[in-house]
Amino acid sequence: MKKAIILISLTILGVYLIDIFTGIGFGTQHFASGVKDAYLIGSKETLRVSNVVTSIVVNFRGFDTLGEVTVLFLASMALGGILYKKRHDVGERSVLFPSTRIVMSGAKLLFPSIVLLGAYVFIHGHLSPGGGFQGGTIIATGFLLMLITYRNYSVSHNRLSWVESLAGVLFISLGLAGYFVHDSFLANVFPEGKLNDLFSGGVIGIIYVAVGFKVAAELTGIIYTILHEKD
Amino acid sequence: MVGTPVLFIVIPLLAAFIIPLTGMVWKNSVRIIPGIVLSYMLILSISLLWHITETGTVIEVIAGWKPPIGINLVFSPFSGFFATLMIFLGLLVWVYSYKFKRNIDSEPALKYFILLMLLVTGSVGIVLTGDIFNMFVFIEIVGISGYGLTSFYTRRDSAEAAFKYLFMGSIASTFLLLAIMIVYSQLGTLNIAEIADKMPMMSNKLKVISLIFFMLAIGVEAEMFPLNGWAPDVYTQAPGPIGAAFAGIVAKAATYATIRVMFTMYDLSGAMDFLIVMGILTFIVAETTALRQDRLKRMLAYSSIGQMGLVMVAFGIGTKEGIFAALFLIFNHAIIKGLLFFSGSYLVYTKKEKHISDVNGMGKYLPITSVLFTIGAFAIIGLPPFSGFWGKLAILTAAADSKMVALIAIILSVSVLEAVYYLRVVNRIYFFPKKESMETQKPTINALIAMISLGIIILVIGFYPDLITGFIDRAAADLMDKTGYIKDILTINN
Repeated sequence: MKKAIILISLTILGVYLIDIFTGIGFGTQHFASGVKDAYLIGSKETLRVSNVVTSIVVNFRGFDTLGEVTVLFLASMALGGILYKKRHDVGERSVLFPSTRIVMSGAKLLFPSIVLLGAYVFIHGHLSPGGGFQGGTIIATGFLLMLITYRNYSVSHNRLSWVESLAGVLFISLGLAGYFVHDSFLANVFPEGKLNDLFSGGVIGIIYVAVGFKVAAELTGIIYTILHEKD
Repeated sequence: MVGTPVLFIVIPLLAAFIIPLTGMVWKNSVRIIPGIVLSYMLILSISLLWHITETGTVIEVIAGWKPPIGINLVFSPFSGFFATLMIFLGLLVWVYSYKFKRNIDSEPALKYFILLMLLVTGSVGIVLTGDIFNMFVFIEIVGISGYGLTSFYTRRDSAEAAFKYLFMGSIASTFLLLAIMIVYSQLGTLNIAEIADKMPMMSNKLKVISLIFFMLAIGVEAEMFPLNGWAPDVYTQAPGPIGAAFAGIVAKAATYATIRVMFTMYDLSGAMDFLIVMGILTFIVAETTALRQDRLKRMLAYSSIGQMGLVMVAFGIGTKEGIFAALFLIFNHAIIKGLLFFSGSYLVYTKKEKHISDVNGMGKYLPITSVLFTIGAFAIIGLPPFSGFWGKLAILTAAADSKMVALIAIILSVSVLEAVYYLRVVNRIYFFPKKESMETQKPTINALIAMISLGIIILVIGFYPDLITGFIDRAAADLMDKTGYIKDILTINN
């Protein structure tokens, strides 16, 4: 009985929501003005960044990105606090089965190229698809591969803390530079350069590199903490 | 002026990123730096609050893009009032918990103080931001620091409470994102002022569904009935001072978000019956449940939910007097519930189960804490000469002015319930014999400072309510002036 009532109300809700979302009209031109044109023009003319998504994420709405970076920082911090007492020493952790020789040599071969790809993605965040979050995640997958392949592979927690903190401080310092020079937090203080150049977009590229380092360090830290949890 | 609104967010974040490094060199810095940052924020907010009485609302644009293109922060009499109150309470929570768990090794302590600082920062961000998506980001920050703080003791029960909260919070975030998406898909902007300006262009069907999603999402954090299932567990399992932080900081920020969405964005100031009905339901259900509790912190938690319901009712009345009453109630609730959580934690400190009967006879053994708890209990019931009296009086006069007689009857009769369960505890403290073989925990000096300063504020405001009515009046006027808010933000030039 209870299940039937839940099912019926969910169906009604579902039909209602489908009706709403089909009526929104995605992909059609249904509002005359809006912020989108300002973003398209500003990204190309003022900021000289060819990837509009990046210019929105890092500059127009850079404050949100600072918040999102903090969310990730908080998540890794809270997780570290919760699992604090349950941490194993290096070499004893929940993944106990040994890897085969193929996986071990393959991982060693792949690891540098994964890190390189990640670095490429965040360094070119303002020119091509991708950016700090994506690049950082790619690098973290490289560390994940090493951690699950080699039983005694370890990452220094202190070193991760350093990378994480310095990257965060760099992000905020660049923002504060804008605050002191142009009276507006995150305003661009470096020359914009030429569209499609590696050194274009002023602070945007540098901030995305900082975000990349921060995300990579945080995700690696999270993976490391969870892998070393006692059962 | 010692700074601009953006520093409320940037300085704590900078500190949060640096603290792990300084903690390696000097362990005590993980406790001290958050206190310095919170003090700086308090000085900044008080000076800005004085500054805006002369110059009017301070609007700051970020990254040099004027609204609606970029994100802006608004320090108005209304948001400034909330921000100052929350930062003040955050600082007191820091003072109270400075020595708490002194011998704990540095890593969890590091987490505790950073999470506390970011909880305050996120709440201040919710209040100051003029952008709806930015508000979402800050709600996430508050949520995640909240989950972390709830599970601080890493016990089975606290993990369960944190998981419940995490679950509710994540669903709420999803709905909030959907609501923001619907609004953006129709109006092409995320700026609250511009959304408010363009709201008539949205079709009624989408208006209703997006408003429902907004209320569903923010109602979870605002502890609105029936979305508050997580709250009692969290208040019970989190460390004592964090209960005060949830009641005084997080719930306040979420109430602000509710009001911003309903008053400014959707312009429902004329027809707020929804808020009255939800508020009354929350109030009645929470207070009757509080009556049945046998654990002190759970009782305080339900009472806190009930008070937030009363605040909703006051906002729902919708007149200037109603909003004045709501803001006064918010102020009272923050300081009084803070005091109750602070002193209540010490009354049952050594007991495992923390039953109400554990406070028996504490009046003799913890005299100062008991007196402070009693002050808090009398104040929250609304007895003169404590500050709680003026808040209750304000909402009753507001209801009387709007000719809502039934509302007055309900508020008064539920207040009797409130008096019953608070006086029951006070009775046990003073007139029951102490159980044998029970130890007491004397409050630390810094906890005493935090509690006594709250007690003094309650008494002083009780005798001289004029000290804060000026600020509340300006805040209420600022909220009512919706066209002024839109004009201020959309015509900013710098």
